[in-house]
Amino acid sequence: MTVMNRIRKLLGAGVTTVAVGLLTFEAVFRPETAVAQEKVVEDEKPSDDTVKPWTPEELKAAIKALDDRQRNSGDYKTQVYIERKEKNKNDVVLEAVVYRRDTDDKLMILFTNPKAEKGKGYLRIDKNLWMYDPGVGKWERRTEREKIGGTDSRRADFDESRLSEEYDAVYGGVEKLGKFQAHKVTLTAKKGVDVAYPKQVLWLSSSSGNTLKRQEYAASGKLMRTSYTPKWAKRYSESKKADVWTPKEIRIFDEVEKGNATTILMKEMDLRSLPANLFTKAWLESQSR
Amino acid sequence: MPTLLRLAVRNLLQHKRRTFLLGAAVATVTVLLIMLLSLLTGMRATMLRTATTLMTGHVNVAGFYKITSGSAAPLVTKYPALLEVVKKNTPGLKQVTTRVRGFGKIIADEASIQGVLSGILISEEPAFREVVELTQGKIEQMAEPHALMLFEQQAKRLGVKVGDGVTLSASTFRGVNNTVDLHVVAIAKDLGFLSSFNVFVHADSIRELYELDKNATGVIQVMVKNPDEAEKVAADLRKAIGDAGYRMMDPLAQPFFRKFEPVKREDWTGQKIDVTTWSDEAAFMRYTLDTVQVLTLVVVTVLVIIIIVGVMNTLWMAIRERTKEIGTLRAIGMGKGYVLAMFVTEMAVLAFSATALGALVAVALATAVNAAHVGVSESFAVFLMSPTLVLAPDFKMAFLSLLAIAVVTTLGALFPAWRATKLQPVTAMHAS
Repeated sequence: MTVMNRIRKLLGAGVTTVAVGLLTFEAVFRPETAVAQEKVVEDEKPSDDTVKPWTPEELKAAIKALDDRQRNSGDYKTQVYIERKEKNKNDVVLEAVVYRRDTDDKLMILFTNPKAEKGKGYLRIDKNLWMYDPGVGKWERRTEREKIGGTDSRRADFDESRLSEEYDAVYGGVEKLGKFQAHKVTLTAKKGVDVAYPKQVLWLSSSSGNTLKRQEYAASGKLMRTSYTPKWAKRYSESKKADVWTPKEIRIFDEVEKGNATTILMKEMDLRSLPANLFTKAWLESQSR
Repeated sequence: MPTLLRLAVRNLLQHKRRTFLLGAAVATVTVLLIMLLSLLTGMRATMLRTATTLMTGHVNVAGFYKITSGSAAPLVTKYPALLEVVKKNTPGLKQVTTRVRGFGKIIADEASIQGVLSGILISEEPAFREVVELTQGKIEQMAEPHALMLFEQQAKRLGVKVGDGVTLSASTFRGVNNTVDLHVVAIAKDLGFLSSFNVFVHADSIRELYELDKNATGVIQVMVKNPDEAEKVAADLRKAIGDAGYRMMDPLAQPFFRKFEPVKREDWTGQKIDVTTWSDEAAFMRYTLDTVQVLTLVVVTVLVIIIIVGVMNTLWMAIRERTKEIGTLRAIGMGKGYVLAMFVTEMAVLAFSATALGALVAVALATAVNAAHVGVSESFAVFLMSPTLVLAPDFKMAFLSLLAIAVVTTLGALFPAWRATKLQPVTAMHAS
């Protein structure tokens, strides 16, 4: 490698680190952008040591609650920053806006940065996930389990939670996860349901019930990725007439290709109604014109 | 006629130096031409052989299975019954093999690569052993479950050697993430760009990865005795398979990996069968082969022009030197036609002798080069799809080259010889 290439690589890595550092700093310390329906921003609190194990009924209710608390009956919009670290490659930071309409299972991810990715997007209509690339001006049908933007993140990371519909849960007891007390739950995909990972192990916060850690396994039983969700936010939804919980930060570690990791930061969540014509191919195409 | 021949031979022997130089030139051109044709034929044969061993049969019976109308899996389900139809309806069948197809990520401790996966049963693939040259390991070990064969370049990128373990990761056709642990049993010499992305594993490992049963495969590869008849065999097979009740895809001269998107857009589910030839699957090679053929034509044309100009020039000089001789021959009664015939015969004798010698030397040289397994540079190997230079001379080609050069050389003598006959005996005799 030439000296210039080394300098370029160092500069590139430096710029990426500074950018992600600033984003993380902003996400953690800067007050959330004021939106009308925002009520509370809450991070996980360390719990005390007296946590009772769940009964089967409590487990079932907890998994259902995990889905319900993240679901909004109206619309949802959030700004996301995805940082991809890959071994022997320069770090990449992608910026996107995620739009969701949970009532009819619509989802759209529109990339806004960097320039090379701007205008690209995913759109789910009727259980079909489509990807648009303005460079070629074509739509391609992709699998629901698609890796988003070539990172370790997947559609499910941005979408509403459907754990109770897709998995059967088995309780694994209370475990200490750093300074948190957590309920360990093993999820196995229900028969006939196609999911990206047929087995997941969750560590759910004993205080909030939110997922703190998640391990996802391949059909072969190999551990594929571990993700941590240390920060959650809740906002009051007018349409739902209840709080909606969303992760503020997800850190995903590739367990097969050690050294690869993806960090997702979610900011400026907005639960107000979105335009009716938003979830259409035409709208997504228009964003790159 | 014998007199003419005798005269020609005597004349050639009398002008030893000129005969030697002209003969050597014609023989050298013959050697060059035959070597060049051998190289080009060798390249074509090597590329075809490598491609038909690594990624396609002469005729391929494959297809797609669609779980939903928006999906496309390169699968042939319940293939044993289809295999019987193929065997029954392929005239000139030489060999038939099945391969499971896939696409996945091979992950080692240091790095990972994406690869086009071919699940093979090594016992069914004798040609594979002939084409692939190993640098490490044993090809027989490919019969072991979870065996993996890499090419040198891939092994280098992954930082693995024989005995090392890697993980193969892919999504099943239902989108479920899956992995298979493999161990490297063999590392082969690179075979051009095809070896940069083709990875060979035991067929059952691909089935395990995609959660397929034993009756599912990716493609039935048919090798026929005469590859030139592949198009006809494919057309016959397409009809026979359709008649046997299988749903057929519309013929499309494209490799299977270019058909995913069009197939995904089609509104059907279940199994459809596709029949392609090696030239469809290796469509990207067609341009290279066409270029090679055009190059051959250009080079041969240039060589032939050089021969004609050289021969005419030499004869011109010879005739100038022999002006007195021509005058004397004409004065003692030799007719114009006889003079013309004498010069043409002289050149024909020289040309046929020199080209025969050149052809023998060229065939011997090509055989020696093949036996020596002469290595080629990395960049040329990418183009050639072989780590060694392969020359493919054949007697038919050598004979045709010999005939072509001899005839062209002889014809090249016609004009100067005709000019010689135009000389007046008295003028010719007075020439200094």
